[in-house]
Amino acid sequence: MIIWWIGNLVLLAVVAPVVAILLKGVLTAARSIVPNIQALVPVATAITKDLDPVYLLLTTQRHVIQTVEVVANYGGSLDVILDDA
Amino acid sequence: MEPAAAVTILAVVIIVLLLVVYLVAIIGQLKQITADLDVVIGAVLEIVRQTGPVNAVVITINQQLDAGVDLLEGLLVKKAGMQDALGLVEGMYPGSAADGFRRFGRSRNTKVPRIGEVYTKGTLTLARLGREAPIAAGNPGGPALRNAVNASSQARTLYPDPRRSSGSSRDNLPKSPTIGSASPNQYEPTSSPGARSRMPAREAAEESGFSIRPPSGHRQAAPAPAPAPAAEAPPADAPPAETGAPQRFSAISKRPWET
Repeated sequence: MIIWWIGNLVLLAVVAPVVAILLKGVLTAARSIVPNIQALVPVATAITKDLDPVYLLLTTQRHVIQTVEVVANYGGSLDVILDDA
Repeated sequence: MEPAAAVTILAVVIIVLLLVVYLVAIIGQLKQITADLDVVIGAVLEIVRQTGPVNAVVITINQQLDAGVDLLEGLLVKKAGMQDALGLVEGMYPGSAADGFRRFGRSRNTKVPRIGEVYTKGTLTLARLGREAPIAAGNPGGPALRNAVNASSQARTLYPDPRRSSGSSRDNLPKSPTIGSASPNQYEPTSSPGARSRMPAREAAEESGFSIRPPSGHRQAAPAPAPAPAAEAPPADAPPAETGAPQRFSAISKRPWET
């Protein structure tokens, strides 16, 4: 009987508080994640909008190719006009 | 029921309640986290989709720019020489000559002239173009021979109107010929293509009885006809005059003072 009472005492004084503390820690950690995730949502959306002009790289690519072609033509003309060193 | 059993049951119930309360709360938080992560993952997937072709495009741009840089570097080195090319680059972008040219490894070991102190930007190129470039000042302490900033106006003073496009210099230009139906010189169409409608001078003179003056040393007393009066042109079919006057070996008739 005495051992039973000791077991009850341990259950109420040790096990229950430990379980409560551990669960509260997990809950606190889970709650701390939520605002961070919610802060990520607008950032990710904004990044998506910032990347909308990425397709303009195709225009840049086309212009670069045209510019290099013009430079090549001009360089060819200069190669003919100017004497070598 | 014994009191010990009741206390045990109470303790177990308390622990189970704690587990239920906290676990339910944790489940709620995890569900919210999952929902937010879904939004973030969607945005990240969108980012991945949008940035997918960037790599290939940037690589292509870099390849094109590399080709352009190689072209310009090669042209500069070919035309100006390694040393002057490096000096020109150093003059325009101080400190960049230390890196040298990318395709010319020996450019890093080339001694760079202090070309920036002597030449202005682009002067070397202009000098090689043969124009009057401001290569240097006439006097190191004096002004430049040519204003590099307002070089176009300076050049205009040297060549004010090279095309003679306006002003009095336009009068010096030969007029363009007028062609077509409105041309002042109208030529009648030939009836016999390939045949001469008007004979050259020698043949015309022979036909008219005049002889052409031969070259010196071959003068011969040919029985040339007498020239016609100076005031009138001899008719082409006029017979030659029989006179004893010295003959002129010329297709031209007598001058007024020779009559």
